[in-house]
Amino acid sequence: MASSQHVLLSPAELAYLHASLSLTPPIRPDGRSPTQFRPLVAETGILPGTNGSARICFADGTEAIVGVKAEVERTAQRPGEETVFLEEGGAGDDEEEEGEAVDKRKGDASWVEMTVEIPGLRDDDSGTAFLSAMLSEALLADGEFAKRLWINRRFHWKLYLDIILISPPLSYPLPLLSLTTHLALLSTRLPRLKSEGDEDPFFDDDWAAAPYLYPRTPTSVAKPTATTTTTRPPITLLVMAVGNNIIFDPSKEELAVADVALAVSVTSTASSHHIDTDTGHPAAEAGRNLRLLSIRTIDPPSRLTPPAVANAANAAYGASNGAALGTQKMLEARTAETEAVEGVWRAPRGGAKRMVLGALVQKVLERGGVVDEVLDALEGVDLG
Amino acid sequence: MPITILPPKPSRPINNNNNNPSEDDALSDSDSGVDGGDADGDIPMHHPPSKRTRLTTTTTTDATTSIVTPGEQITSDPQWMRGHGTYITPSTTAITSSVAGTITRTNKLLSVRPLRARYTPEVGDLVVGRIVEVQAKRWRVDVGSTQLAALPLSAINLPGGILRKRTETDELQIRTFFAEGDLLVAEVQQLFGDGGAVLHTRSLKYGKLRNGVFVAVSGVGGGGGVVRSRRQVWTMDAANGAGQIDVVLGVNGYVWISRHVETPDAEEGKAGITNMEESVSTTMYSSQNDRIEVETMREIARLRGVVTALVENGLRVDEDMVVRGYHEAVEMAMVSAEGSDDIYLGGEKGQQLAAALTGA
Amino acid sequence: MTDRRRINGPAGATVPPIFDDAGLQDLTSSKGRSRAPNAIRKMYLKTGVTPSASGSAYLEIETSATPGVSGLKLSCSVHGPRSLPRSAPFSPHIVLSTHVKYAPFATKQRRGYLRDPSERDLGIHLEAALRGAIIADRWPKSGVDIIISIVEGDQDREASRLQGDEVWDMMNALSGCITVAAAALADAGIDCVDTVAGGVAALVQNAGEDSTPTIVVDPIPSEHERILAACCVAYLPTRDEVTNLWFRGDLPASDLDLYTSLVEKGIQASKNANRVLVGCLSETVE
Repeated sequence: MASSQHVLLSPAELAYLHASLSLTPPIRPDGRSPTQFRPLVAETGILPGTNGSARICFADGTEAIVGVKAEVERTAQRPGEETVFLEEGGAGDDEEEEGEAVDKRKGDASWVEMTVEIPGLRDDDSGTAFLSAMLSEALLADGEFAKRLWINRRFHWKLYLDIILISPPLSYPLPLLSLTTHLALLSTRLPRLKSEGDEDPFFDDDWAAAPYLYPRTPTSVAKPTATTTTTRPPITLLVMAVGNNIIFDPSKEELAVADVALAVSVTSTASSHHIDTDTGHPAAEAGRNLRLLSIRTIDPPSRLTPPAVANAANAAYGASNGAALGTQKMLEARTAETEAVEGVWRAPRGGAKRMVLGALVQKVLERGGVVDEVLDALEGVDLG
Repeated sequence: MPITILPPKPSRPINNNNNNPSEDDALSDSDSGVDGGDADGDIPMHHPPSKRTRLTTTTTTDATTSIVTPGEQITSDPQWMRGHGTYITPSTTAITSSVAGTITRTNKLLSVRPLRARYTPEVGDLVVGRIVEVQAKRWRVDVGSTQLAALPLSAINLPGGILRKRTETDELQIRTFFAEGDLLVAEVQQLFGDGGAVLHTRSLKYGKLRNGVFVAVSGVGGGGGVVRSRRQVWTMDAANGAGQIDVVLGVNGYVWISRHVETPDAEEGKAGITNMEESVSTTMYSSQNDRIEVETMREIARLRGVVTALVENGLRVDEDMVVRGYHEAVEMAMVSAEGSDDIYLGGEKGQQLAAALTGA
Repeated sequence: MTDRRRINGPAGATVPPIFDDAGLQDLTSSKGRSRAPNAIRKMYLKTGVTPSASGSAYLEIETSATPGVSGLKLSCSVHGPRSLPRSAPFSPHIVLSTHVKYAPFATKQRRGYLRDPSERDLGIHLEAALRGAIIADRWPKSGVDIIISIVEGDQDREASRLQGDEVWDMMNALSGCITVAAAALADAGIDCVDTVAGGVAALVQNAGEDSTPTIVVDPIPSEHERILAACCVAYLPTRDEVTNLWFRGDLPASDLDLYTSLVEKGIQASKNANRVLVGCLSETVE
């Protein structure tokens, strides 16, 4: 099955939806503006048995829960890397090591394990694998996240992210899962390390002293509008195009008439540790430093929709019987097959124009655009 | 603001009916039955547990609504007859409820209507359905019931007039009338013993749906949703120069909102019954939409928003509520910042709308 | 998903052995790119290799780590269009199912017999790329299976380090999968709007301090010090349309030009691969 679920809609419905979404401005079936998301209810820190957790639900009852659990794991040594000797060096070396600790931190993608559980789908379903690959890809794309899990040269944290949908999704669940994961990671805390150097790790058992995985600045709590330049977990947004319109957070029906749908992952960072690829540009003095992490095309279900039969080609149209179908009618039927007729639904063929793809990505990354507002709103969530 | 993220609210404010706030849920939920039930006839009744305030907004049953739970004994009096939603324990005469719902009495028949259940078809119901399967001589239609309903080829109006005989050609062309995914409005013609329904579209009112949008809400049986009422189909004048809009509230909770299409016979006058059949059936199986004005599309979306808001706030959906809700929504949009083009009715706006409808 | 039917070796925990070799260079240094930044590697494509399948193709891409030795080896077979099973619901379109599997011996780390999540992921990408290319409503009520075996992965066996993770290898594999599947689809006579081919471009940083990142097509991870971002594009040349786009990396959002030029380079790589594909198909006809 495709990456997105197949929906059964009649050709007349599809034609109507496509027509109303192609208007400028588009009229969405639920009346939202093109960049408007469905209202959410969110909370964090709901599961005391986890290192971090979050829950988000929609008004239609779709609900996602994410729990983050961390375990200490021994790091596999690979030949070619400098071997670790426990007894190496004396007290003097330790100070040196602390100085270069940032450079020595290494991360590996296998330190993060993400599972997505969607009721009604088999656990080996490709769609689920695609979703979890997309979410973990965004998390690991910059190579910085895994470094946070480094304890010392012999040990690391292994992070398990378990994403659960409570009921079968009523729309493509990607944005919901991504926002819930974002909040869960924000509320994740790892016990404070008490041991030093490469000895077996030993942790502080005071949970209140446990630092957050994503360190927080005091300004972010005080006022959400205050500019915070700390690194945030990535968010993945679903965005689609119909005609010239770009629509965010599409519902199931809207996705069924999409010309193209993209999942775009972005994050905001403190830019210090990144290799500056845009040295020629003046540094942004205010606002977030957004970074593009990943893009994936979502195969829109529109390609699987049944096509409509135009009145001209319809055997059940008019009083004429099937047998009385004249050559004139046959000719009309042929033109109806090749040309687009107004009000007749046709599943899109081919791919997306480069310009459209470019416009979609640009719209997402716009300064002060949707991503900024979504991140602002997420910052406003009380991290219990 | 493209996104609104709200903190979770505490569960709905408790609206106690029995004017006794000290006696909280815990007591009235218990099976003690001491909290002064109004014993109506021979049936011991409990007060409705206050959690289910949703029910008080509906007018499905009389004021003395009472809720029973599965396994709860309704009566041991042998004069009553057992109806739907109940069973009789062997070797006794006690009638026990088998579902959670409200007791209804029809003469000496006791039955329990479930609070929330899938649609159970009844003969004469107007339903909106979606074709899910095409078989050799019939269609299988999803009507939101426990089973798929059947629509035999013999129960539709064939193009070319009412007097035409069904031929083998029609059987071969069955998909040209209705194909998978198509929406239709039909009437329940007959019921099988197992609850399956047979539909028919042998009327000009019925047939394939186009020029509009579909929205599924829960069907009959408590809470919000479509309730059986006098009129399930009506045409209303929309605001902002949008012309006329048809609304079809299927009893099964499927709703269709579309642009009103003038039937040709209205202008041509009475051209005779056979002629009329012929001219109407030309568009009966079309899946091509007519040209729809932007204003009409906007008002259709607004109506859809009204229906969704009614359901999300646990209100019944019928002609009266939808029409009132629509006018309320139009007025709300007038005073809003975006003007009359603002058709969004989700989230808080929906609650505002519901409050305006119930508070009045 | 674990393999319950067979007894497999212990999962993870061990490191694949590296054998000492006379010509073994310094293990930690990368070798450097031997091709021009705009040149893709030579590839060999042949259709009709599996007589029992409706259509088939074989693709081999040379590795530049050791000259003359092949890198990626892909075999694709297409079964169909054939009628759907009786239990399947009616479909107005052809039902496409894609299946990508690494041979257990294709990569340094042995793969199991069951498809792991990354292989399923590749299958979905491939499906999205092909679904835009085929004219699905020409074949109602029928299905087609596209099965790709990755006989040999594109990994440099002499490098000991795993470069980041395997995702960059996956992009190369996906681009090969798209090209070979397009050839096999054409061989099976399934209607397509255009020939689709895959291309990869990457923003890389070469060894040495302060070297500016450059964009190269068809990157080999072991040739570069670090890959900052990469994208895999499935492109229809005559329609000028993209059917699948997969980007991964870390780019500043303020600088969209970098992203745009990366995609452009990916399209260019895809055009080059498409030339090989068209050449191979016309050769078969002659």
